[in-house]
Amino acid sequence: MDQIGSNKPEKKDRRDFLKFLLSLGLTGFGVATIYPVISFLKPPKQAEVEVNSVVAGKLDDIKTGESKIIRFGNKPVIIIHTEDDKFRALSATCTHLDCTVQYKKDEKIIWCACHNGKYDLYGKNISGPPPRPLDKFKVVIKNDELIVSKEA
Amino acid sequence: MKLIPGFKLIISVLTLILVQYSYASEDQCFNCHRDLEDNPSKLFVEDVHYKVGLSCSSCHGGNSNSDDMELAMNKSAGFIGVPSLNKISEACSKCHSDAVFMKKYNKNILTGQFEKLKTSVHGKLSVNGRGMMLQCTTCHNAHGIKKVTDSRSPVYPTNVPATCNKCHGDASFMQSYNPSLSVDQLTKYRTSVHGILNAKGNTKTAECASCHGSHDIFSAKDVRSKVYKLNIPNTCSQCHSNKDYMKDFPIPTDQFEKYQKSVHGVAVFEKQDLSAPVCNDCHGNHAATPPGIESISKVCGSCHALNAELFSASPHKKAFDEKKYPECETCHGNHEILIAKDKLIGVEEGAICLKCHAEDKNQKGYRVAKIMRSQIDSLMSLDIVAKNLIFQAEQKGMDVEEIKFKLREIHQARLETRTIVHSFNEAKFKEVTNKGFKASEMAITEAKASIDEFYFRRYGLVVALALITFLIVIIFLYIRKIEKTKSV
Amino acid sequence: MKNQIKKFYDWVDSRVQLGDLVAFMSKKYVPVHSRSIWYYFGGVSLFFFIIQVVTGILLLFYYKGSSDLAYESIRFIMSKVQFGWLIRSMHSWSANLFILSVFIHMFSVYFEKSYRKPREMTWISGMFMFVLALAFGFSGYLLPWNELAYFATKVGTDIVGAVPVVGEPLKYFLRGGDDVTGATLSRFFGFHVALFPGIFTFLLMLHLLLVQRQGMSEPMHLKIIAKAEKKTMPFFPNFMLRDLLLWLIVLNVLAILAVFFPAELGLKADPLASAPAGIQPEWYFLFMFQTLKFLPAHVWFIEGEVLGILLFGLAGLLWLLVPVWDRKSSRGQQNRWINYIGIFSVLFIIILTIIGWVLK
Repeated sequence: MDQIGSNKPEKKDRRDFLKFLLSLGLTGFGVATIYPVISFLKPPKQAEVEVNSVVAGKLDDIKTGESKIIRFGNKPVIIIHTEDDKFRALSATCTHLDCTVQYKKDEKIIWCACHNGKYDLYGKNISGPPPRPLDKFKVVIKNDELIVSKEA
Repeated sequence: MKLIPGFKLIISVLTLILVQYSYASEDQCFNCHRDLEDNPSKLFVEDVHYKVGLSCSSCHGGNSNSDDMELAMNKSAGFIGVPSLNKISEACSKCHSDAVFMKKYNKNILTGQFEKLKTSVHGKLSVNGRGMMLQCTTCHNAHGIKKVTDSRSPVYPTNVPATCNKCHGDASFMQSYNPSLSVDQLTKYRTSVHGILNAKGNTKTAECASCHGSHDIFSAKDVRSKVYKLNIPNTCSQCHSNKDYMKDFPIPTDQFEKYQKSVHGVAVFEKQDLSAPVCNDCHGNHAATPPGIESISKVCGSCHALNAELFSASPHKKAFDEKKYPECETCHGNHEILIAKDKLIGVEEGAICLKCHAEDKNQKGYRVAKIMRSQIDSLMSLDIVAKNLIFQAEQKGMDVEEIKFKLREIHQARLETRTIVHSFNEAKFKEVTNKGFKASEMAITEAKASIDEFYFRRYGLVVALALITFLIVIIFLYIRKIEKTKSV
Repeated sequence: MKNQIKKFYDWVDSRVQLGDLVAFMSKKYVPVHSRSIWYYFGGVSLFFFIIQVVTGILLLFYYKGSSDLAYESIRFIMSKVQFGWLIRSMHSWSANLFILSVFIHMFSVYFEKSYRKPREMTWISGMFMFVLALAFGFSGYLLPWNELAYFATKVGTDIVGAVPVVGEPLKYFLRGGDDVTGATLSRFFGFHVALFPGIFTFLLMLHLLLVQRQGMSEPMHLKIIAKAEKKTMPFFPNFMLRDLLLWLIVLNVLAILAVFFPAELGLKADPLASAPAGIQPEWYFLFMFQTLKFLPAHVWFIEGEVLGILLFGLAGLLWLLVPVWDRKSSRGQQNRWINYIGIFSVLFIIILTIIGWVLK
């Protein structure tokens, strides 16, 4: 009936070879399945679904009187380093027709090139077509880095 | 009766004497005061109330039949003396608010004036805190009241400005009530078309009450006011849209109709947008005059600053001034300013440029117009292409956040082209459109790469499939092997 | 390596006495005959379920079940998580294949009449799992919170509401309110990842235990053959390896489907927007949906929709109780009627599904 432990060497060799290939195959399969699962479980760079805070760079990146526009999720945010050494972050989307605003150092205002809209450094719309002030963001300095997050 | 001869004669004489007597005794107050030759009685002779047979007691109370001062001017007879503060207006409104009573004298006269005055801005407390700011007599006078249609009345159209100016032109007086309110309205008014006509004696033209109302005057910031921003077009059009009324004046009457269709009109009437201009924003209010040809871009430019600046530096400024073309109005209209669509620019049918430029006339401008339009169109189609590709990539599950960010740049460039057009300068225009082209190229490239990456995954799959298939084959062989050595 | 395994085995055996279990397992045999191919579908269904559990747990790491984040979290999984697209697409395909597989498994058992004595409990537990599989599909379908999902749920729960007496309260309970809202999403999420898996696992354990205890059912005509002459194969390792082989082939197919036909994102659900044209439930509900559409608005004094629902309910109940009223099979006698009813049901389902699909 059973020929376990058969003496035929070729048959044994072939079976051992097959067994070896089998273990190889199983290992390969294991890797091919485990690799995607492990990669999946590794936290992606953008940790959360909705972006709630962004590192905007180092403290020295923005000198006094200068500004920088960063990407917060899919929206632009403008960070201004004011004369009295404070950092202010505001939405850089003009409330009129969604152009990107810029900081005008000489007039000390935020200006929109599209239709001459003007905002003060608190985001309040002071002149031109913008109907609403700019949304405010929170800026926190941590370990020499500027961290911008949504206003509570 | 026929017994006494001349009876008829005696009766008539007696009646006459009786009538004379009673007539003479009708208003004893007036008789006495007239004999005293005091001012009120002098004025009262010309008063409309005297002319319809009312006596002093109608307002002051008392018994007008008695010539005895003690009896006539007696409190028990209802005498109130010289009324002060609100008692004045209350005395007037005793009759003037009684519709039934007033009908006897004048079928058409209004009777709601006192109520209106009380709720109006003039009905607020005076600085003395004891009565309304204005009483009826402030504007209508006390004893020599004339009909509104009487040219001697202080509220006759040609006299109204002076009447209002009595308070409103007095800086120290107005200071106690509203320091920020200007006091030069009359001066300004006299420079306006309305003011000039009014000074000449024209009663149809607008004066203070035409726009502000008479008894129901509210502050311009009050939504109930006829001169509240959003109500102004209606107020002006009450005369200016009335063909019959305006037939004496050589100006059109379709401005309001046109304005309603315009961008500004839609903003005011449908969106209640307080930042949109109404009649007085371009024409002025007290100094109302349409802006002059050369100053139109300055007026429009008070809001549309960038466009005006660009226009003034462009070759069109000199050309338009020479030809006496009214700047902005030439292309955009004045009252019926519609949304500036892309088709205004260019050399296709419907483009404004064609009015002056053609292939064989003013060629340089023709060329620039053609280029501008084709660039605008290219940018628009690139925007659409980019948006479609990004949507595709997103639906396939690719990460498109960064690429979407680029779309903002395209959108911005498209908006900026609308403004830079007013420079009518090819180089400056291309600066803006190039920004847009660059951004759209980048967006399209990145979106395409994203989609390619999606398809590339399929190749990664082949590796995994090969591994698994290999394993499958091995197992299959293994099974065969086992079953050969074992009997089943 | 072999020594280590033996050492570990001895350690456990000295504590738990695995000897009996091993003897039992090594003696398991699977009948081999012309229709033994159908035996594999139970295992394939189990495989799909395991895939669902594994991919489902992985998805749980990133999915957020609130109406303002659900859609975005799916987009996040698809675009930002490594292999997220693969896990999600596999979960979506495996769901469909799981239901297809249990349909086949259920019908093959029906036609073989394996539900007859002594396997009535296996049939009952299987039928409950079948209903749960459909419930899994329905609840899971809403979770991406896109347009199609939202309206399919709306229509589906509306139909539940048409059931007389208990319909309205049940609909209110399912929706978490009068309309389909974030509240509905919350509870469907709870059903899908906690309640249903819990109940299903219990039923599955019961089902598998019964199968292990009773062995595989044989076709009736084989009863007459003597035991020694019946063709069989040992469960270990033959049948198990064949099972594994099939599972691997199925896994390959699943991977190909996930890559070439990935699950779509769709548009985020907007309760205020009007339903897009041609809203349909998932394919496994299509035959019922289409039947209801065909029924006239009123039959006699009953509303057509209500009649349809009641008829399906009755059919389901009779199907569940087939071991009870099919006396012939219990006695080992051939029952042609079962076959006829079965063929009719299969054809009905297939034809109406096709009609429903084509008439989209």
